[in-house]
Amino acid sequence: MRMKGLRSALIALALAALSFATAQRSLEIYITGLTEDTMDWFREEAFPAFQESHPDVDLDIITGGWGDFDAAVAGWITTGDGPDIVYLGSEYAATYGDLLTDIDPYIGDWPDLEEYLPAALETATWEGHLRGLPLLMSPRPIFYRSDLAADPSAIPPLTFEDAIAFVEANSEVADGAVQKMGFMDIGGGLFDAQEFIAYVWTAGGELYHEDGSSAFDSDETAQALQFMYDRRRAILPTETTAGLPPMQGPPIASDLVVSGIFPMWNMPPVSDPLWNEIVIAPYPAGPDGEPLIQVFTDWLSVPSYVEDPELAVEFLKFIGSQENALALNEVAGFTPTRQDAWTRIRESSEVWSDMLDMAVEYGRSFSDIRASAELRPLIVEQVNLYLSDQQSLEDTQQFLKEEYDAILEDYGYL
Amino acid sequence: MDIDTATAARLHNLYWSFATVAFIVVGSLAIGKAASSVAAWRGGSAALQRRAFWGYLFASPWILGFLIFVVGPALASLYYSFTDYRLGRPLEWIGLENYRVLIEGLGAHGRRFTQAMYNSFYYALVGVPLQIVTALGMAMLVSRPMPGIGIFRLIFYLPVILAGGPAILLAWRYMLASNGGFVNISLSSIAQSLPGLDWLYRSFIFVVEAFNAFYSGISRGDPVGAFSYLLPSLIGAAVFGYLLRGEFDSGKRETAARLAEVIAIVLGLTLLVRGLVAERIDPAFWLGCAFVAAISFLLWRRKRLEPRRLGLTFAGTGILGVLLAVRLVMIEDGHFSAILRLLTLSSPIARPGDLDYLEDVFPALLPSSAWIWGTVAVLAAATLIPALEKGQRKTLLGVSTGLLALLALGSLLDGFRYFAAFGAIAETSGSPVFHFALFRQVASTLPGLDRVPLWLQNELWAKPSLVLITMWSAGTGMLIFLAALKGVPSSLYEAAQVDGAGPVQRFFRITLPMISPAMFYNIVIGLIAALQTFEAVYIIQTPRTESSLASAAYFLYERTFRQLEIGQGAAASWILALIIVTLTVFQFRYSRWVHYEG
Repeated sequence: MRMKGLRSALIALALAALSFATAQRSLEIYITGLTEDTMDWFREEAFPAFQESHPDVDLDIITGGWGDFDAAVAGWITTGDGPDIVYLGSEYAATYGDLLTDIDPYIGDWPDLEEYLPAALETATWEGHLRGLPLLMSPRPIFYRSDLAADPSAIPPLTFEDAIAFVEANSEVADGAVQKMGFMDIGGGLFDAQEFIAYVWTAGGELYHEDGSSAFDSDETAQALQFMYDRRRAILPTETTAGLPPMQGPPIASDLVVSGIFPMWNMPPVSDPLWNEIVIAPYPAGPDGEPLIQVFTDWLSVPSYVEDPELAVEFLKFIGSQENALALNEVAGFTPTRQDAWTRIRESSEVWSDMLDMAVEYGRSFSDIRASAELRPLIVEQVNLYLSDQQSLEDTQQFLKEEYDAILEDYGYL
Repeated sequence: MDIDTATAARLHNLYWSFATVAFIVVGSLAIGKAASSVAAWRGGSAALQRRAFWGYLFASPWILGFLIFVVGPALASLYYSFTDYRLGRPLEWIGLENYRVLIEGLGAHGRRFTQAMYNSFYYALVGVPLQIVTALGMAMLVSRPMPGIGIFRLIFYLPVILAGGPAILLAWRYMLASNGGFVNISLSSIAQSLPGLDWLYRSFIFVVEAFNAFYSGISRGDPVGAFSYLLPSLIGAAVFGYLLRGEFDSGKRETAARLAEVIAIVLGLTLLVRGLVAERIDPAFWLGCAFVAAISFLLWRRKRLEPRRLGLTFAGTGILGVLLAVRLVMIEDGHFSAILRLLTLSSPIARPGDLDYLEDVFPALLPSSAWIWGTVAVLAAATLIPALEKGQRKTLLGVSTGLLALLALGSLLDGFRYFAAFGAIAETSGSPVFHFALFRQVASTLPGLDRVPLWLQNELWAKPSLVLITMWSAGTGMLIFLAALKGVPSSLYEAAQVDGAGPVQRFFRITLPMISPAMFYNIVIGLIAALQTFEAVYIIQTPRTESSLASAAYFLYERTFRQLEIGQGAAASWILALIIVTLTVFQFRYSRWVHYEG
């Protein structure tokens, strides 16, 4: 009786093993912030197309928000168990670089690589090797409402001085509250860490000295800080001034905001006639710098725990093809990082055409931000103290420099 | 057979599945066998051994699960807390370094952790009492039987179901908008409805901003100078004054004993923790720790406190204080500066160069903390003399109370001078650090007629906003209070009414004591929840308010999941866990005010 049971168990085990041995290969792709329409496109169009050349592969797409992004990705990488392809933001090469597969051996001879913007490929590169493939880019210019401006001819202000004058002329405060904002940043307030880095660059500075130490002690950093402070005071005379009332929809369409930095998903649709009144322009510059536009590139990486990186890279090539780049632009609004995919986008919308022109002329990739996860809270803490009159400019620079150097040293950059 | 990678992976998974099942089976049998062996070793009968085997065998899947999924990760987290472990980097054992950085507030992360702990304590000390009052108020309102009361109970409880949801928190963002938000419009309308109310409204804004600005300065590590003496001398004066009034009668003696116990335990724990994370261990530190621990133990085991023991406590603490104060004088920059600072109430200025210019502008006029320790030691020594007359003891208590009261007053007045010095420093110094800048900005003028609370916009209002949101979702506490109120016998109220007790007296003399178990439960649970605040912080913070809102839980999330510093994140979580456990134990130990019927 016992022997019978044991034999049955062994047969079941053998059958299970056989069924596994003949199973399909699988590939799981994680992309942040996908809409249901885009998920459907992956499942109903992209995956079947890929399976034509890879009939033995099961594909699955998962998505999540930026809110749980860090925890999710950290969890996968910690446990060595997660999707085969992971979507990463612009500055993540420095964070996860060592934990991602060097895909050069699988993609190095792919001719399409030449079509990609070099700056975009740079974003996905760590220690000289590609760790993934750029998926989309997001130029982040300043948008101006020419119909609301006190003096439309002052658009765009390209120097710090002109920008402050513009904000002063277009901001209104009454009854202790802001009634009209000459400028609003991406966070809906008056300060953003990424924007601060942009002004360091437009002042002609860099984040690092040649020896790799922090350059927060530079004159350019001081200019950037002073510019942000003066602009803040042009809008908020004191820290006790109340901000704008809550608004529905894109702030630029509220008639309360004359200029600002916003992602395209927080702007009106490009078919909206309001775009006739919107001017796209770069960030203003300091006396020794040049205007620029920050370009954020999101990319698809292959974590080092993936057991079949060759298959993952095959999918990257597939999804990164010109045809799919265009399809993703159409279905998800992604701006391709392949220049050969831009022609049709330019034809489809004048707004996108202008945006791409600006990105080409002024674009600077938001990359090589070392220890970015540690830098952001440091900037937020210290610059806020300065902007709210709790710390002097000199002390702010000193603390930024000292503490960022300590972080860089801890990370092995110094 | 040549199999591809995916198939190999599947076979690998299959192997592990079988291995897991085998592990559970073998583990369960082992636990069962161990239980039966223990029963045999304790002289149990064969039947008892069988019962133990089968009982534990069936319980073992849960036991194994608990060990693997709860104890295992906890131990792993404890191990990581002693390491420098960032994802992608080799793990390195660093002992207590993570704890040292966090507890001593070293560097940017230590500073942020300190601030996060201050923020969490704010939610606990300000938020929980307000939440309790709100819950009790709501419970009192809906406890009376009347038509449609069920609907009101449902309405009051609804926020519990909704609170914490991102959509609701986002709705709060709209309601708390400083310009045009529902809350501010309502407050402004009320303030303008009657003459004099606008002054009340502006005073409310002033008080909230001043308190939060001061708290913000403290949490950032700004020096408080002469104010350091205020709290200990006030506590000392209050304790001695209390004893003086009752001349050690039994009730007061018990209260004084409990106070002395709390002070000794807190001091002992603080010294222990500080000493543990210090770079080197000083013999004087361990001596002090051992002394405080011994006194604490004595007090812990006491049945009733005698004056002699109370004196011993004071004497011990005084001697320890004098000893360390002397050491402070002898050691210029000892490695125990943190402990010495704590015991000598000195307030170091952590910014380079600050001490010099502060001393130039503000020469210290107050006597050293030896005053406090000296007073305590004199009193304790006098108390120890058995032949001391009642009158003499009273005199000594009176003199000590007076001295400490004078010290409290002096430190208050000098503290204001100290604060005024910061302004002068900011103006004259080449590179000023704006100590208590927010407080000085706020305290300089009364808010104007057009001022409104800047709820989510400004760091002075960010924490009150969060407290307001937690008050709104006080429905759980309300339900518990409601059940407790229902359990108060109406005969007690009737008897009190017959005796002529008014509604206020009835509330304080009958209702509160009778619902004290529910009160205790709500305080314990509320405190734990407050110290673990996370979701609301995560959703309502902006770059401007992030530092002032970040709680301890938010800090460890940032360190662990955003900056991938597993080691330091684990250390932060253990510190938080130990604080919560300690506070909970304290609450249970000092819960004599809770009245259990029967």
